[in-house]
Amino acid sequence: MKTTKTIFQDGDHRWLAIVRDPDKPNYLIDTNEYLVTHGDRGLLVDPGGAEIFPAVFSALSAEFDPSALSGMFASHQDPDCCSSLALWLEFNPAMRCYVSWMWSGFLPHFGGSGETFVAIPDEGMEIPVDTLMLQAIPAHYLHSSGNFHLYDKVARLLFSGDVGAALLPPGMDGLYVNNFDAHIRHAEAFHKRWMGSNEAKRRWCERASGMAIDLLCPQHGAIYTGPDVERFINWFDELPVGLAV
Amino acid sequence: MSTATALTVGATASAAGADLLRIVRINEQIKRVVGVSFKINIMALNAIFLAKRAGTAALGFGVLSNELRVFSQELRDCMSGLNGLIHASVNEVSIILRNGRQDRLLGELAKGGAVLPLVSGVLERRAGERSAHAKRLADLRRQLKRALEDAFQLVELGGVLAKSAKIEAAYGQSFAASLTQVSSEFDGIVEEIRGALESLRHSPFFASK
Repeated sequence: MKTTKTIFQDGDHRWLAIVRDPDKPNYLIDTNEYLVTHGDRGLLVDPGGAEIFPAVFSALSAEFDPSALSGMFASHQDPDCCSSLALWLEFNPAMRCYVSWMWSGFLPHFGGSGETFVAIPDEGMEIPVDTLMLQAIPAHYLHSSGNFHLYDKVARLLFSGDVGAALLPPGMDGLYVNNFDAHIRHAEAFHKRWMGSNEAKRRWCERASGMAIDLLCPQHGAIYTGPDVERFINWFDELPVGLAV
Repeated sequence: MSTATALTVGATASAAGADLLRIVRINEQIKRVVGVSFKINIMALNAIFLAKRAGTAALGFGVLSNELRVFSQELRDCMSGLNGLIHASVNEVSIILRNGRQDRLLGELAKGGAVLPLVSGVLERRAGERSAHAKRLADLRRQLKRALEDAFQLVELGGVLAKSAKIEAAYGQSFAASLTQVSSEFDGIVEEIRGALESLRHSPFFASK
């Protein structure tokens, strides 16, 4: 089963990271799922693939009533992000799925109906969780052509999807980055290959530099905190991306 | 999910996978029959012209050739009905396969025990849906079998027509040789269809529950 870790809490406003399943088969890429709660409502952030649904559901249920989930946010269309959609809807058919307008016709192949999807326009939008307003931040071509990150300005937390992701070797499975130089080596090849556009990367770095971020939370690997957030943005800004060969 | 239920889910999914392969084979046979029935239609048209040329000596042959054309059309209609049932069966089996994967994943949850109260309602509802789909597939299986029997009856009639055409060909005077050749081809083709349908009758798909 996965472990649930509280990464931010202020009263009933919480961010939980659902991470690191020791029983996960090696052929499945490891993913981080997040849950943001406010009041008695919750939003799942990149709920994960179908194969890991049992582990995510069990871990989440230990901390939160899954029937109180109002929706899910899918940063992009990949199966490791949201192919569990149909299974979550089994528990709460009223859940809404926020995803780029580009993918709102593709994701129904994973499940859901016409009412399930809320299409996010290219410029982003506000996503409510109870009275808390989160911001879908454009991150197109990083790596998907219709890609969003999720910003919580109260928690000063940016969920950054595949940006910041690292494919960590066994034994390096801490929740937070504690040695940036050692960590970033495991992020380099991933970013060079997965991120499709230097121009898009530069724009994202400019935007992220202007935001107050204490926690930068990727979908794979460890979470960047404090000064490592700025270190990562600078590192990413200088990294040439988008060339496979 | 109890061990017994998990086994049921696994067995259902595995049987659905086997059913899908069997349906594919049935569909291939149906395509073959449709192709052959087109051939009968063309042959019957030619036979009608031949009978006209032969005149009064081949009046009976002409009538039978026309009947064979009608038979060819009816056979194609029959195969089209079978196709519809095949399509519905593929749809049903696909749903069973997809649900099988989801049931397996939901079943994993129940093993944990702690979340069982949360999932038991969903598992119960899905078990009901599983039974409903299994029942629908069983209904389709029965309908397919019935439609296949109807097709077989039709082919029996086609066989009688082809054999009668052979007899009529003997009265074709100077055209007797050509008419005999055509009627033998009819007979051969009807036999080919009969063989295809006979093998469909024995498909393990119809033996499944």
